[in-house]
Amino acid sequence: MHAVRKGDVAKLGLLFERHHRPLFDFLARMTGNAAVAEDLVQDVFVRVLKYRATWRDEGRFETWLFRIARNARADYFRSRTLDEPIDEAAGHASHAPLAIDTLARDREVARLQRALMLLREDKRELIVLARYRGMKLEAIADLLGVEVGTVKVRMHRAVKDLRDIFLRLNERSSWNTTHSVGSFPTA
Amino acid sequence: MEHDTLGRLLPDGVDPREADELDATWRLLGAIDAPTPDAERMRARLDAVLDAVEQTHVPSRPHPLRGYVLQGLAAAAVLVIGIGIGWYAGSGGSASGGTRPTSETGSASEIAAMRGEMHDLREMVSLSLMQQQSASERIKGVTWTGQLDRPSGEIVSALLDGLMHDPNVNVRLATIDALERFASREDVRRGTIQAVQSQSSPLVQIALIDFMVKTNERESADTLRRLAMDPQVNDAVRARAAWGLQQLG
Repeated sequence: MHAVRKGDVAKLGLLFERHHRPLFDFLARMTGNAAVAEDLVQDVFVRVLKYRATWRDEGRFETWLFRIARNARADYFRSRTLDEPIDEAAGHASHAPLAIDTLARDREVARLQRALMLLREDKRELIVLARYRGMKLEAIADLLGVEVGTVKVRMHRAVKDLRDIFLRLNERSSWNTTHSVGSFPTA
Repeated sequence: MEHDTLGRLLPDGVDPREADELDATWRLLGAIDAPTPDAERMRARLDAVLDAVEQTHVPSRPHPLRGYVLQGLAAAAVLVIGIGIGWYAGSGGSASGGTRPTSETGSASEIAAMRGEMHDLREMVSLSLMQQQSASERIKGVTWTGQLDRPSGEIVSALLDGLMHDPNVNVRLATIDALERFASREDVRRGTIQAVQSQSSPLVQIALIDFMVKTNERESADTLRRLAMDPQVNDAVRARAAWGLQQLG
């Protein structure tokens, strides 16, 4: 990043190679849409180029990068409503027949993924950063500009809310199954 | 991954049974597959931007002395005028002699005049810096305009002129940021729409497209559509224009 800041913009390619996957993963899990996430990653690196003079090396580069990613995502959704279908197939490329227990498990995972997308954005972000990016509590606190204790309290609420939504989706799913079987004429 | 279990991420005092339930959900989150990017396509798009930036990048020749002298003079003048304002306000106009109502009216108008002078001085420094040979000084000039409460039309014209004609990409990018607060002005709207078509730098074009989206400039839709469909236009700019069109809906 030192070289990029000094004007060696070709070095941005190296930064891209190192950081595009974690950025994409974060943005894809936040937006639920792989194509949008790719556009946003592109946007992040254009912003890195544009604002390279504002980077100060006393902070962690990754935190600065994720701060830009958060802003890029916020700007993206600010001017539009989130009405695009969630790309639930993003992580499920294979449609080969599955064993019944595998199928049940996959449905459960799909419901959890759905629950994650239904969770409020700030709560989803906490979970994505910790669970999928493996970001330490201190780094999350730095990124969000809050204390570590606050992150813990918010994490508790976030996972609790996620579990509640997940259980509701499970209930609805089992009710639908029972209801559709029960509605068949028995005579 | 760092946090395969939830335990250490929770605050103290959470009921152990609840913690176990939450941990089960946390573990199940690990079963959601990671989406995979089309890294090759993303890299190609980035390379297109980098190529374009390198082609249009003009190295700046710093001449710091003139800029520092200008800024030093401006700071000294602002200080002197500020002290003058303070002195008049503190003395309640007694320094000018005469009866109080008359002197208060007189000092108020003098304070207003001094404030006006400070404003004019700041404008003059901004305009002077924007005409410097050094790109970094011109960027400082553009940035100075942000300190002006009510910049005159001359400042806005200078910013638009910088956007259209400055040979340095970084200066042109700085003018885009500075123009954002004037986005509702007709000349700024027309100027930025015109600039997005005529710019030689894809990076500046992309920044202008972002500007259009941020300021919700729907009149730019036709221009963005033309850019998105023009095969002569840089790939990254075309992609950004298409994205911009989508945003403006």
